[in-house]
Amino acid sequence: MSSTEALVADLSRMLSPDRVRAEPLELALYGRDASVMEGQAAAVCFPLTTAEVQAAVKVARAHNRPIVPRGSGTGLAGGSVPVGERPPLVIVTTKMDRILKVDPERRVAWVEPGVLNLDLSHRIAHLGLHFAPDPSSQQSCSIGGNVANNSGGPHCLAYGVTSAHVLAVEVVLPDGEVTVLGSEDPDAEPTGYDLRGAFVGSEGTMGIATKIAVRLTPNPPAVITLLADYASVEDAAATVTEIIAAGIVPAALEMMDALITRAVEEYVHAGFPMDAAAVLLVEVDGLPEGTDAAANAVTRIALDNGAGNVRRAVDPAERALLWKGRKSAFGAIARIAPNYYLHDTVVPRTKLVEVLTKVYEIAARHDLTMMNVFHAGDGNLHPLIVFDRRDEGIMDRVWQAGTEIIEACVAAGGVLSGEHGIGLEKRDYMHLIFSPDDLDAQARLRAAFDPDEACNPMKVLPAGARCGDLQAVPAGAWI
Amino acid sequence: MKLDVDADELAACVSCGLCLPHCPTYRVTGDESASPRGRIAAMRAIEADDRPLEGAFTEFMDLCVQCRGCETACPSSVPFGRLMEGSRHTLTESTRYQPWLTRAAYRSLRHHRLLLLGSSLLALAQRARLVPRRFGLPALPVRRTPLKASGDDVWLFTGCVMDAWLRPTHANTLRVIEATGAGVALPDDPGCCGALQAHAGLMHQARDLAERTMRAFPGEAPILVNSAGCGAQLKDYGHLLDTPEATAFGARVLDVHEWLAPRIATVPAPRGNHRRVALQDPCHLRHVQRAHLPVRTVLAPFVDVIELDDEGLCCGAGGAYSAQHPEMATAIRDRKVAAIARTGAKVVASANPGCALWLRDAGLDVRHPLDLVAEAMDGR
Repeated sequence: MSSTEALVADLSRMLSPDRVRAEPLELALYGRDASVMEGQAAAVCFPLTTAEVQAAVKVARAHNRPIVPRGSGTGLAGGSVPVGERPPLVIVTTKMDRILKVDPERRVAWVEPGVLNLDLSHRIAHLGLHFAPDPSSQQSCSIGGNVANNSGGPHCLAYGVTSAHVLAVEVVLPDGEVTVLGSEDPDAEPTGYDLRGAFVGSEGTMGIATKIAVRLTPNPPAVITLLADYASVEDAAATVTEIIAAGIVPAALEMMDALITRAVEEYVHAGFPMDAAAVLLVEVDGLPEGTDAAANAVTRIALDNGAGNVRRAVDPAERALLWKGRKSAFGAIARIAPNYYLHDTVVPRTKLVEVLTKVYEIAARHDLTMMNVFHAGDGNLHPLIVFDRRDEGIMDRVWQAGTEIIEACVAAGGVLSGEHGIGLEKRDYMHLIFSPDDLDAQARLRAAFDPDEACNPMKVLPAGARCGDLQAVPAGAWI
Repeated sequence: MKLDVDADELAACVSCGLCLPHCPTYRVTGDESASPRGRIAAMRAIEADDRPLEGAFTEFMDLCVQCRGCETACPSSVPFGRLMEGSRHTLTESTRYQPWLTRAAYRSLRHHRLLLLGSSLLALAQRARLVPRRFGLPALPVRRTPLKASGDDVWLFTGCVMDAWLRPTHANTLRVIEATGAGVALPDDPGCCGALQAHAGLMHQARDLAERTMRAFPGEAPILVNSAGCGAQLKDYGHLLDTPEATAFGARVLDVHEWLAPRIATVPAPRGNHRRVALQDPCHLRHVQRAHLPVRTVLAPFVDVIELDDEGLCCGAGGAYSAQHPEMATAIRDRKVAAIARTGAKVVASANPGCALWLRDAGLDVRHPLDLVAEAMDGR
C-alpha cells in the first residue's frame, strides 16, 4: 500500500469512504482557487462535524502530511492552493454548512464554516439583520474563508472588516485539539491576549475554524446609492478625497475604470455609462434625514469635481443591480481576456491619483492590459492585469509588472493586502514592508499555534521568516 | 484528448466561483466536481493532460442537470451549455456513454403515433397496477381529445411526450391564444424537438430531428411553444445546424408567454379574489431563453403570483435527469419544495412539463400557467 493509499484508508475509516477522495482528476480540481497558482493535493476530505475535522487533522499528522483548509475556493491569493514538502491533505468545509443558532436579541449567530456569506444574510433578512462583511464574492464565499482571510468588502469602509464581526471561533488546532477563542458575549473583554484576534486573518496557518460566532448588524433604516461618472480618473479620485475630507463616512465608496465598467455593463445592463473614464459608486446610510443630507453633499462634491452626471438609484432593485455590477467585476474579466492577476494593495487616499498613474504606466511599459476596480474610500486598490496565459512568454511580463506595481504602492506608503490575504501569491513580497525582526515575530506567533508548520505550510510568511529557517520555494507550485 | 468544444469558449472561465451557489448539484454536494467551475476545469484537464475519458470524467459530466443556471450567474457569459453538450458528444462518440438501449429510447421519440400508442398502453398498465410507483410516472391518460386547428396566424408546437401526456394543457393553450383573436395552426406530424438528444450528447439524432421539425412548420408564422425545454431547443437550431434556414427558423420561435404578454389585455379577466399561486421558473425559460418575465405578465390579471426566494435554482427535473439520477434529483427537488412551502401557496405554476411532472411527483399541485388562465377565464 502506498503512503497515499494508507492515508486514504485511515481517513475513510474515520470519516466515511464517500467523503474521502483521491482520484487524480478530482484532485486536480482542488489544485487551485480563484488565483492563478496551482498545487497538488494527496487527498481531499469533506468532514461534517468538529469531531471529523479533528479526526482528519490527527490522521494527516500521523501520516506526516500537511493540512490545507479550503472553503469555497474563491480566494484570490492562493491561500487554499495545496503546497508542501509532501502533497497535503485538503480539508474542505463545504459540507459543514449549517446555521446552528440565531439570537436576534443579542444579535449573534453561530454558524459552521461552510455557510455562504450571502446565505446567512438572506436567512436572517426577516429579522432586519445582516452579516456586514460583504466581499464581492459574497454569494459564493464561505464564512470560514472570510475568517481565514479577515475579508473585507465595499461596505467594510463604514462597518469594519470581518474581524470586527467575529466574536468567537471554535478551532481545531494543528495538533488536533479543540478550543474556543473569544467569547460570544458581544460586550466581554478578552481575558488575557485576544487570540481570537490573532486567529482571524491567519489564513489557515493556525488551525481550522469549525464553528464561528458572528455579530449580526441591523439593516440601516435608510440607504441611498449614487452613481457618478467622470471623464477622467483623476477627477473621480479627487472626489473620493474630498468626500472623506468633508467628514462624510459613506457606507461604501467604490471606483471602477473605463474597461471594467464596460465589461460589467455588458453583463448586468444596469445603465453604467459605457463612455466614462471612471465611475464612482457611493452609498450612504443611516437615519433618513441624515442620509438625505449626506447624499446631497456627496452629489455636490461630485459635481464640483467634474462628474458628468450623478444618478440616484430609485428603488432597491436598481440599487441591487448596481451592486451586482460592481461585485461581478472580477468574474467579467473573461470578456476581455481569460486570465487575471490582481493585487490588493492599500495606499493613502491622498496618493490615489499618483499611484494609479504609475500603475497604468507600468502596464503600458510591459504591453499588458490593466483594469482598476477598487474600494476607493479606504484606498484599497485592485489593479488587475488581464491576459491570456496561452500567449507565449506572457507570464514573465505579468509577474514582472505585478512586482513593479507592488513596489510602487509600497513606495507610496502602502501595504500589500487590504482584504484578500497574502496566501502563496504575495508571501514573497512580505519583506518589502516588514523587517527581518517583524517577520521573525510573526513567525513566532505562528509557531505558538503550529510549531511544525503542518497547517497550510508555505503560506503568508516568506521562506526563511524565522531566524535559521531554510525553507525552500514552494515545491510543486506552478503558475 | 480534444473535446468537441470551442477552445476560446473553454478558455473563457476565469474560475472566480460566482457560479457555485447557482448550481443545483454543487448546492447539494459541495463538491468542486459537481460545480460548473470544476466541470470546466475537468474538461481543461482532459484536453491538457491526456487523461482517460471513462471513469471520473464521465461521472462528472453525467451528474450535470444542464439547467444552465451557471450561465446567467456568469459575469463573463461562459456558454456552459455548449461546453457540456460538446463534451457529452465526445463521450458518446468515443466511449460507451449512452449505451444502445438509451440511444434507442431517445430515437423512439421521433415516431409520434407509436409514442401515443405506447403511452396509452402504459396508461392501461397503470390502471391494472402493473407499473411500480417507484418509476415516478404521472397518471397517464388512456385517451386524448383531438386538438382542432383554428387558423394560420401562429403555429403551436405540440411536441412528443407533452402531446402524449399533457394534451389538456395544449387544449387550454389553444383557448387562450384564440381568446386574443388569433387562429392557430397545428402540425401534421409534430415530432420531437431533439432537446433530450442534444443534452445527452447525441448530436446526430438532435440534428436529424431539427431538420424534420423545421419541415413540419412551413411558412413565416410565429411558432409558439408552451414547453420551456422544447422552446429553448427550437430557438437554438441556428447554432445546432449552422444554416441560414435554421437561424431563420429559430427566430420564428417564441415561448407562448412571450407572444401572449403584449396581447393578454384583450383576454377578459374575471373580477373578484385571485388565488395565490407560487411561480416556479423553469431553467430553460429563465436561464436559457431568459423569457420568464412574460409569464408574470400573462398570469397577473388572473392569479396572484407569489415569487420564490431561490433565485431560479433548478428543481432537478432536467428532462430525463430525474429518471437517470433519482437520488440527486430528489435532493435538488427538496430545496425547491422547501422554497415553495415558504410561500404558503397551495398551487404552483410551471411553464415546463418536465418540471411540472417532477414537482407533482413530490405531492404538489402543479399547473401550467395557461391551465390556470383558462380556468380563470371560465370563472373556476
